[in-house]
Amino acid sequence: MEYLSTDKILVIDLNTTAIEEDELDDSLVEEKIGGVGITKYLYEKYQDDDPIVIGTGLLTGTTYPASASSQITAKSPVTGKLCHCPIIYKVGLEIKYSGFDYIVVKGRSDSPVYLWIHDGVADISDAADVWGKDVWESTDALRTFVGDDLLQTMMIGPAGENGSDYAQVCYNHWNSPDRFGFGKLFGAKNLKGFAFRGMGMIEVAEPEDYVERSLEILKEIKENDFLEKKGLAPMLTVLGEAGVEEWINPITHRNSADYFTPYATNTALFFDEDPELLKESEKDEPGILVSDIYALLSLKKLGLSADDAGRVLKASAKYGIDPFAVAKLSGKNTLEELTGAFDSLQGEVAIPGSGIFTPWCPTGPIFNDFDLSGDEEIMDWWERRQAVSMIFGIQPIFSLMCPELTEANMLELASMGTELELTQEVLDAVIENILG
Amino acid sequence: MGIQINALKCTNCMACEMVCSYHRDDGFAFLSACLVAYRAKEKKDYFGMLLKEEDVLIVARPEGIEINKIGEEADPDKKADASAKPMLLRESCDLCEDMDDYGPMCIAFCPVDAITLD
Ligand code: SF4
Ligand code: SF4
Repeated sequence: MEYLSTDKILVIDLNTTAIEEDELDDSLVEEKIGGVGITKYLYEKYQDDDPIVIGTGLLTGTTYPASASSQITAKSPVTGKLCHCPIIYKVGLEIKYSGFDYIVVKGRSDSPVYLWIHDGVADISDAADVWGKDVWESTDALRTFVGDDLLQTMMIGPAGENGSDYAQVCYNHWNSPDRFGFGKLFGAKNLKGFAFRGMGMIEVAEPEDYVERSLEILKEIKENDFLEKKGLAPMLTVLGEAGVEEWINPITHRNSADYFTPYATNTALFFDEDPELLKESEKDEPGILVSDIYALLSLKKLGLSADDAGRVLKASAKYGIDPFAVAKLSGKNTLEELTGAFDSLQGEVAIPGSGIFTPWCPTGPIFNDFDLSGDEEIMDWWERRQAVSMIFGIQPIFSLMCPELTEANMLELASMGTELELTQEVLDAVIENILG
Repeated sequence: MGIQINALKCTNCMACEMVCSYHRDDGFAFLSACLVAYRAKEKKDYFGMLLKEEDVLIVARPEGIEINKIGEEADPDKKADASAKPMLLRESCDLCEDMDDYGPMCIAFCPVDAITLD
């Protein structure tokens, strides 16, 4: 694949330490488009080796608005289903620019390793120095080792190493959308995680048209009034949760966005620093960046102060455990009890619909109604929308806000950018296969 | 005439960095941008923008704008640690003079209108 692509599929065998590269054939893109369309195909191709498949979307990292995400596809060690977890913040973007569209990790390593993916090169690296460290220590150690603070990581912490069902793969220092126990799967493979960095260039078949259409779509998006808002609290308010803004605003520092995502879906909370501080904090760890609205809400519903909720979220991110599971399943309701319960959680976190997409993402439209009504229609729409977002690499929460991001214009730009004929019929077939 | 960045409005999305690089490369990359989203202090949630103009490096930070004359900046690499390619090795902002249909690309593509023309 010449365009919108690095043209490379990386296949890493942890059993043998063999690393192979395949080309991404046009024919595969014509049949499966990209993202979870292709990660599912690769999973099935290598399923005897219980693979973890990382995949970028076809539009990831381009000028198509909100083209921020990549995804992890693997069999959940908790539910046994093939599930898809979005890779958000700036990590999903970095994967493509590090030189690979898809990464298949097969087998299990004899000793702890991490995968260092940079500028089209992949190394299986000894993780002895970071195994046993928490997510923050691990990310900091690798950034220091490589000498690059912009290294993007996907790491597990003690929860994943210890085989917790609620272990998350975390992104940089932060909790992730992983409600599938993918952290446990990493740990079982002796895989501490990934580090990505790259300065690649993505060619586009018709660059001028692609950029022009991207801007037209962005202008339509900017007509939305909701873009005057930022962060998690307004999302929860519009989803019907009263009192969140009064609770969280006093410790809100700033809100930030995933790559080229017009709505800032991440909120930084400061509890060891003045939240109104506008210069660089002298504290190393003034707070926590939060993307998980339901973890935040669940902690509020336990009666915690916003400050204590922030501390639970920070401890969860360091430990590499799903903070929503901590809030929902621990049966505890104080900071000390909640952070002391990480190793004793029991029960299940419900995954809605067909159980393959994460309920980290609200299960319905946000800010716009998309002309939907009735629970069944909303769930069908949500699953399709998740699938589409993860085929093209669109930030999956923003896609629930924004009707201007249509299947038609994603296909239009994908076809324009690749010179391949990607039709609605092809997309329908890919979605059917994913949801199948 | 030059561009102005409101660092408090900025959400650190990097769209401007991408399109700034695009206007030089005709492909998608970040390496040719003269406008870079500063995001190296992630744990501190400290972010802003760096812009290279002809003679100056502009640092748009939450606490305000700092203008450093190139050549006189005490520690330019410290300010440039937001990117793999030092800011001082990058081309200067040309206000996208070759992009007739758009004008400054960063202004057109900033989703929150944090960049304006002064
Ligand atoms: S005006 Fe053009 S050259 Fe200058 S910073 Fe913006 S995008 Fe880059
Ligand atoms: S496009 Fe706007 S919001 Fe995004 S990084 Fe640039 S200035 Fe900030």
